Amino acid sequence: MSEQTIVALSTPVGRSAIAVVRMSGEDSIKIAGRFFHPMPDKPNFVRVGKLQTEHFAEQAMCVYFVAPHSYTGENTVEFYCHGGISVPQAVIQACLDNGARMATNGEFSKRAFVNGKQNLTNAEGIIEMIDAETVSGVKAGVNLLNNKLGELTVKLQDKLTDMISRTEVALDYPEEDLELPTAQSLRGEIAELHGEISQLLGTVSAGRIVKYGINVAIAGRPNVGKSSLLNAFLGSDRAIVSSVEGTTRDTLNESIAYKDTKFNFVDTAGIRNARDEIEKEGIRRTNLAIADADVVLFVTDRKDDFLQCDKKIIKVYNKGDVNDYSDVSDGIVVSARTGQNVELLKQTVYDAFRMGEINNSDLILTNQRHIDCLKTASELLKNAEEDAQNGTLDCVASTLHDAWQVLGEITGTQANEDIIDRIYSKFCLGK
Amino acid sequence: MTVKDKTFDVIVIGAGHAGCEAALASARLGCTTLVLATNLDTVAFLACNPSIGGTAKGQIVREIDALGGQMALNADKSLLQMRMLNRGKGPAVFSPRAQVDKHRYHENMKFTLETQPLLTLRQGEAVKITPLKEGYKVTTAVNLHYFAKAVVLCCGVYLNSRTIVGKHVMVSGPNGFANAKKLTSSIKKLGHTVRRFKTGTPARVKVDSIDFSVMSEQKGESNATAFSFMTDSIQSDKRSCYLTYSTPLTKQIILENKQLAPIYNGDINGVGPRYCPSIEDKVFRFSDKEKHQIFLEPEGEFTNEYYVQGASSSMPAEIQEKIYHSIEGLEHVEIMRDAYAIEYDCIDATELLPSLMSKKRDGLFFAGQINGTSGYEEAGCQGLVAGINASRYVKNQPLVIFERDNSYIGVLIDDITTKDSFEPYRMMTSRAEHRLVLRQDNADLRLTPIGREIGLVDDNRYNRYLNKVKEIEEAGKLLNKIYPPRQLEEMFAEAGEPLPKTGLSVADALRRNGITAALIRKHLGIWQDISPEALEQVEINCKYSGYIERQQNLIEQAKKLEGKLLPDDIDYMHMDGLRLEARQKLDKIRPLNLGQASRISGVSPADVQILIVYLAQNRKK
Repeated sequence: MSEQTIVALSTPVGRSAIAVVRMSGEDSIKIAGRFFHPMPDKPNFVRVGKLQTEHFAEQAMCVYFVAPHSYTGENTVEFYCHGGISVPQAVIQACLDNGARMATNGEFSKRAFVNGKQNLTNAEGIIEMIDAETVSGVKAGVNLLNNKLGELTVKLQDKLTDMISRTEVALDYPEEDLELPTAQSLRGEIAELHGEISQLLGTVSAGRIVKYGINVAIAGRPNVGKSSLLNAFLGSDRAIVSSVEGTTRDTLNESIAYKDTKFNFVDTAGIRNARDEIEKEGIRRTNLAIADADVVLFVTDRKDDFLQCDKKIIKVYNKGDVNDYSDVSDGIVVSARTGQNVELLKQTVYDAFRMGEINNSDLILTNQRHIDCLKTASELLKNAEEDAQNGTLDCVASTLHDAWQVLGEITGTQANEDIIDRIYSKFCLGK
Repeated sequence: MTVKDKTFDVIVIGAGHAGCEAALASARLGCTTLVLATNLDTVAFLACNPSIGGTAKGQIVREIDALGGQMALNADKSLLQMRMLNRGKGPAVFSPRAQVDKHRYHENMKFTLETQPLLTLRQGEAVKITPLKEGYKVTTAVNLHYFAKAVVLCCGVYLNSRTIVGKHVMVSGPNGFANAKKLTSSIKKLGHTVRRFKTGTPARVKVDSIDFSVMSEQKGESNATAFSFMTDSIQSDKRSCYLTYSTPLTKQIILENKQLAPIYNGDINGVGPRYCPSIEDKVFRFSDKEKHQIFLEPEGEFTNEYYVQGASSSMPAEIQEKIYHSIEGLEHVEIMRDAYAIEYDCIDATELLPSLMSKKRDGLFFAGQINGTSGYEEAGCQGLVAGINASRYVKNQPLVIFERDNSYIGVLIDDITTKDSFEPYRMMTSRAEHRLVLRQDNADLRLTPIGREIGLVDDNRYNRYLNKVKEIEEAGKLLNKIYPPRQLEEMFAEAGEPLPKTGLSVADALRRNGITAALIRKHLGIWQDISPEALEQVEINCKYSGYIERQQNLIEQAKKLEGKLLPDDIDYMHMDGLRLEARQKLDKIRPLNLGQASRISGVSPADVQILIVYLAQNRKK
């Protein structure tokens, strides 16, 4: 019914050599042309080209089909790119940024069916697929990454139901002697709820990690071998290393692919009481890098060393080829020089984010849609907060209703009756 | 009298708030119309509170008016006081409410019916409706037969009704008026499901036994605007209402006599509305509340009776006295009429089309409380729609459907014809998802053109409308005019707003919190010859432009689903993929389009998807 262009990953999510991203809809070819160059000269022919995503350019292959000669019967574009998580995600993001929207489960097949490209015997299967997506949003909510998001969304929506029902009582029963909200009195509550959603969004870092990789800061005192460790990770002499303390003055960013995940390393200046200005600036940047990190590799060569920060820390005892760390139990002993245990360290970082688990789950894309819903709800609540400060209650209510509807896309509830039921169960109203 | 004398285009059964609007609309659209009422003293009788309007209801009355109906004009003519509720909460929920003289209200409406050309008002209890080859025969209790192509049933709460005061049950309509005993079986025979609802009303008490000194007075607003767009001036503060409270003693009396309450001991079976609870219901359900609000409302200018809003009851009469005497200021009150509950037959409105015509019988229309709604205003607007459509049916014109995005009337009719309801339906602003655009102030702009097309809007009303539109346009032309800070200084000072550093357009100034169109007119010297009503529109459209725009977008989105028509021969029961509940519901309601289908309770988004697939697939065939 909607002719909007949709996009989805057509190959399974996770480790693979190649991934196929498919886009279908009237504008799909136009959209592809915005970030893939050069486009194939004619339909049904594959062309190698450069695919420009937000963060990197990727070599990929592209083919397009013109309606009705495609699987869906609509204009369709397929990209063949590197597999794994980050690259296909970035390609999808490029499609989204240029006007496509995420496909729902079974939507390609549904379109194929609607456009007469599939016969009726397939209908039931397709309908089941549609069911799986929409019958119970609650089910989808429960399927969210680490389940918590779904539960929390239900709770958030419940709070909103409560707030809206009180607001509606104030609007529909102006003469009742109840303690009813005014636009201004709602502001604090809305702000609180907005805060909760923002916080919730903040915890959904897995989504970002899947997309952009894990940010790994390499930190520690000067001269413990941080830059050597980076080089060991990269398998090249990217960073300048020397035995002089304070060699690394600025942070250095490098990425590697490990299994299906991207690691974004930041090599930092050693932390000490620096004397010269340049080194001080370096240390300031170190702190910024740590703030941005998902995990900090705290490199050291002594047992009593510690780092204080609120990030996930993995303690790395470097120079394992020369130092004796036989009684160490709170970290991993490596040698940047010999490469001893460097692979183990990568695996440890990978495991720390349960990347294996995440990548084997096919929920990531669904999840993305839900995160988008939460973001929209968060924005709407921010607007409602402003309305509450300057505007009238009818407008605040309207914005709250919109936010409620958006959360309903996750929880699968839509009915206005929920709010009306709440009104009458909570308040003694009427003449 | 010959058969010809007894043949009409349209027969309206019942002359309550639905019946009056239906009959007037039908006659004004050129149809010979007969109105049958069990008792002509019940014409437009305000059986419950002596007031018209209120939240959401006030919006409906303004809409009825904009379309050329009678309710607002009649309220203006019978006014005791007028107020605008919800001031300060935003124009979307501004709600006019009138206290009216119930006797004047009845007389004025009856006189309007009596003097309406083509309309015949006749006392008589309809006992039977017989479908004929063409049209219907309506038989009255005294065995007279009337014929018409279309019949509109507006029987209110009179069908098989009984009133209950404790153990005392009377077979009667409201206020002791005779009920209608036989028509229900006819309605069943015509194919409609009948169910039983309940409502109630408080006692009427004598004014000089009330101690107003302990109550707070609620006056009308001295310069309130009239209900009708056509009324130029009103006296809006003739009589006051008074606010008082029940006491802990009230609660104690009710709890001690719980076993005597018919709603609790099983003497009442009908389903009552949650929003209109009796005083005993409030105490039972909200036991933590120590006192409840009670409003005293005058029943008329030339009567000593007062209506006790908030204290409806079906308790035995002697308990009622104790309850009333426990209310602050009513210690010595003299009850003139007892409070009572009333049970009545009504139909399941999901058996109606959005035109309010029966799905079972062409030419048969239903409107008002018989459809399971409550409230004068809800009834009135249905009557108007049923009357319009009965006349259009007679004239072979396409029936008119009001939409959720153009009126509360549309919301109401869509709700009752789409959603199962297990209690009397009351309109609330929160039911209207587009309430930011469905305001009482723009009812004329939304609906008068539609009323004109239908034929109910006369030149006078239409010219007023055109004039307002023109004024709004004129005023709008000045919105982009830019004024330097120097010229804005005085105005911003008066509004208490910080003075802008740069120049501002009129529109930008108007968007500031304290700046009103009136202030701009005063300080900038523009809009001198624009009416306040037109300026109000300019101001609201400007201040709320963001919200209105967003709402319009949502309306456009919703329209896409409304535009997908579902053929009426779809076999839902055998449609693959639909869940059983959805099959049954869709088969019962037979929605006209996907939008309506999506609003049926029990039809999930997935079911709608399946319908979409079905439609698309059929289109390809």
